[in-house]
Amino acid sequence: MATPIIMPKFGQMTEESTIVEWQKKEGDKVAKGEILFTVETDKSVMDVESFVDGTLLKIVVPAGTTAPVQTTVGFVGQPGESILAVETPKPAPQAEVAHVAATVPVSRAKAPMPKAEPITPAPAVSTPAIVFRISPRAAALARESAIDATKVVGSGPEGRVVEKDVRAYLEEHGYEQLRITPAARQLAIKEGIDILALRSDGGRIGVADVERAIAEKPRPMSKMRQVIAQRLQQSVVTAPHFFVTVQVDMTDLVALRAQLKEKNAPFTVTDFIARAVVLTLQEFPDVNSSTDGKTIRWHSHVHLGLAVSLEQGLVVPVIRNADELSLLEINQRSRELAERARAGKLAPDEMTGGTFTISNMGMLDVENFTAIINPGESAILAVSSTLQKPVVRDDKVVVRHVMKMTLSADHRIIDGALAARFINTIKTKIEDIELWKRSTS
Amino acid sequence: METFDVVVIGAGPGGYPAAIRAAQLGAKTAIVENEQLGGTCLNWGCIPTKVMIAASELYARIKQAEVFGITAKGVALDYAALLEHRNKAVAQLRAGIKQLLTANGVTQFAGTASFQDRNTIDVNGATIRAKNVILATGSTSAIPGFLPKHVRIVESRGFLELAALPDSLMVMGGGYIGCELACLAARLGSRVTIVELLEDILLLLDSDARREVRAHMEKNLGIRILTGKALENVTADDAGVRGTCGAETLDVKLLLVSVGRQPVTGSLKLENAGLRPTDKGCIEADEFGRTKVPTIYAIGDVTGKTQLAHYATAQAMAAAANACGQKLEKYDTLVPGAIFTAPEVALVGLTESEAKKQGRAVLTGKFRFAGLGRAIAVNETTGFVKWIADAGTDQLLGATAVGAHATELIAEATLAIRSELTAHEVGRTIHAHPTFSEAWMEAAHAVHGNCLHAPPRKAN
Repeated sequence: MATPIIMPKFGQMTEESTIVEWQKKEGDKVAKGEILFTVETDKSVMDVESFVDGTLLKIVVPAGTTAPVQTTVGFVGQPGESILAVETPKPAPQAEVAHVAATVPVSRAKAPMPKAEPITPAPAVSTPAIVFRISPRAAALARESAIDATKVVGSGPEGRVVEKDVRAYLEEHGYEQLRITPAARQLAIKEGIDILALRSDGGRIGVADVERAIAEKPRPMSKMRQVIAQRLQQSVVTAPHFFVTVQVDMTDLVALRAQLKEKNAPFTVTDFIARAVVLTLQEFPDVNSSTDGKTIRWHSHVHLGLAVSLEQGLVVPVIRNADELSLLEINQRSRELAERARAGKLAPDEMTGGTFTISNMGMLDVENFTAIINPGESAILAVSSTLQKPVVRDDKVVVRHVMKMTLSADHRIIDGALAARFINTIKTKIEDIELWKRSTS
Repeated sequence: METFDVVVIGAGPGGYPAAIRAAQLGAKTAIVENEQLGGTCLNWGCIPTKVMIAASELYARIKQAEVFGITAKGVALDYAALLEHRNKAVAQLRAGIKQLLTANGVTQFAGTASFQDRNTIDVNGATIRAKNVILATGSTSAIPGFLPKHVRIVESRGFLELAALPDSLMVMGGGYIGCELACLAARLGSRVTIVELLEDILLLLDSDARREVRAHMEKNLGIRILTGKALENVTADDAGVRGTCGAETLDVKLLLVSVGRQPVTGSLKLENAGLRPTDKGCIEADEFGRTKVPTIYAIGDVTGKTQLAHYATAQAMAAAANACGQKLEKYDTLVPGAIFTAPEVALVGLTESEAKKQGRAVLTGKFRFAGLGRAIAVNETTGFVKWIADAGTDQLLGATAVGAHATELIAEATLAIRSELTAHEVGRTIHAHPTFSEAWMEAAHAVHGNCLHAPPRKAN
């Protein structure tokens, strides 16, 4: 009997993954260790290798479809071997929607979708799973007219749309009065644009109007963005956020870093801030904790998340056991993680399990900002740009390098006074130039 | 001091239509011109060259009339008589413009305009106030600095003022003006050499169109075309003009310089109006004709966009309407180009090579005049027409015509492209037989590989 290919579980939290692309076709020979398919989890894109030699006998889950982890997505074996009957998974109503769309022979279903981003309609949009029925002649007329046939009310058995219904629909919507250029009509047919949905000022409908509608078509969100949306929304809804901002005098640290840079030492400003945060978290166990609303769990280690922005979104690689690392080790580890994040090569476990996160927008020229706490943590530090500003020192106005940072805290665990003490401790450490001289010498 | 709603500076094919349209829209309008009404186009460009080209074409056809059994003996060209006809044609059109401006109530100032401030204009010492200004000062031939100043070295305007054509002519620059004048001179008996620095002449055309024109110019008109080499070490004296091109020394009676045209802004004192020309000397204007100063518009060659008379006129219509406070109007940017070489060439929209550069998937359909009944009947079988259509939607995006009547034929293609027609639609449109325009219908079929009057395309 053929060997089933199982959708792997990529991390503690991953419950389902989407197959982006099968690298092999049914009937292709597969060697052990060869890549079978590419999946997109909620964190990253990964290749999945075959565990056995043989032939790819059957693809159960086609590209663009989401499957729960540990389910069968295909079979490898010897040609002619029997295959266990497995149904294509239909986990959520979304699969229904995809199914309906695929069987409706109207232009809309033909619309080419961006390849790299498989379509998984947001579960929030629940379309009733009714089967759309249309006659071939009606479908052909709808297609030639570049309209959305699913909007036509059918008069046939079980609401089947017949040609006469489409004609009545066209007449009712004044289709014959529209002036559509031949090229605009062809483009609308090709791209699945409903001509009747174009806003028209009564003038001629041209290619530019259709192109505008194409540009305005909703595009599926990438899996990564969907995950970002879901997690941040969850955080905002469950964790009551409050914010505390302090201004840090960076003048001495900026000078020290410039000196170090001349000696080719690799340290960045973020490294010093990260180290100061790690030291402070060890003094404030309540901040290095998480809650489910009923219990508080303290984490004996500091796992420090560092938000890294990518072209297509944002990832938060986690420095494990940051409390056991020196400044230099923090520098090396964070550099390595950021590089792999930008290359899209982070393993799922490198992006989970953080106990506190730093979000640094220092390089983006911002005065101040607030961040949203990562679910499972109780606070996040938003670090802004270091700017030259007039500051009062010893009753005199002087120009100093200053940086604002804002702590977002989960009020279920952290109260205002604690947050103030916590962030001021970080500030004191960052401004403690002797500390940095010691740890960089 | 008299105040006008609109003052147009320059009375070429951009300026005078702008003035007429502004007056039609009810604006109190003035126009300022420091040379002749009609500008370069009417006086030293489009129109006079077309007189000369018509004569050269007729002359060439008479010499070929034997095909039709006609013997013409003692055919000779009286250049002075030709010039007289040309000047008459130009004068007639100039008078027409004057009449139109007067009939529309446009006040005309002869003189050179300059800004005192953005709303005050000086014309040879007189001052007028302008609520809005439309700049249409045009362009002038560029002459590279390394060339000596001599009567035997001329640009296109000087070329037209010659009392006789030279025995031998060298044309520096293989753009459309250089090629048109080269063909004209060659047909009237001059020995012509074109020197072009770039790898080919008429580089704005697709390579198939270039090949067709170049082959005819070389084989039938006997024009020498040297490409990919610079003309250097140019000297001129009473005997002639000499220069080197690669290893070769060229010795001719006259050098025609046609290496491009420069915008004219020198006398305007733009700085007084708060405007500054670009590095190339142009006045920047957007698709509504607006410059950076809200009350000042610019149109035509001076804006540095495609330098064609009809484009200037299209810009003029929009700028005049916008200056008169109408609902903002953009001008069209689908500009046909007509090149009066032998054979003629015309193009509009996207070329095949531009489509390739943009990575756009296109299909082409071509039909040669050699397969056209009318062309064979009248013995004008050189050339073809070609459509460039979107591979996905069949939309016509561009067209090129080479051969007899190409410059007239391009109008149909322009209308089809602007109307966003598909190759399918043009193929279904009935074209009168026997005419040259049938070629468009055949070429439209050829886009889909089902042309009636050509063998099926060979599978590659």
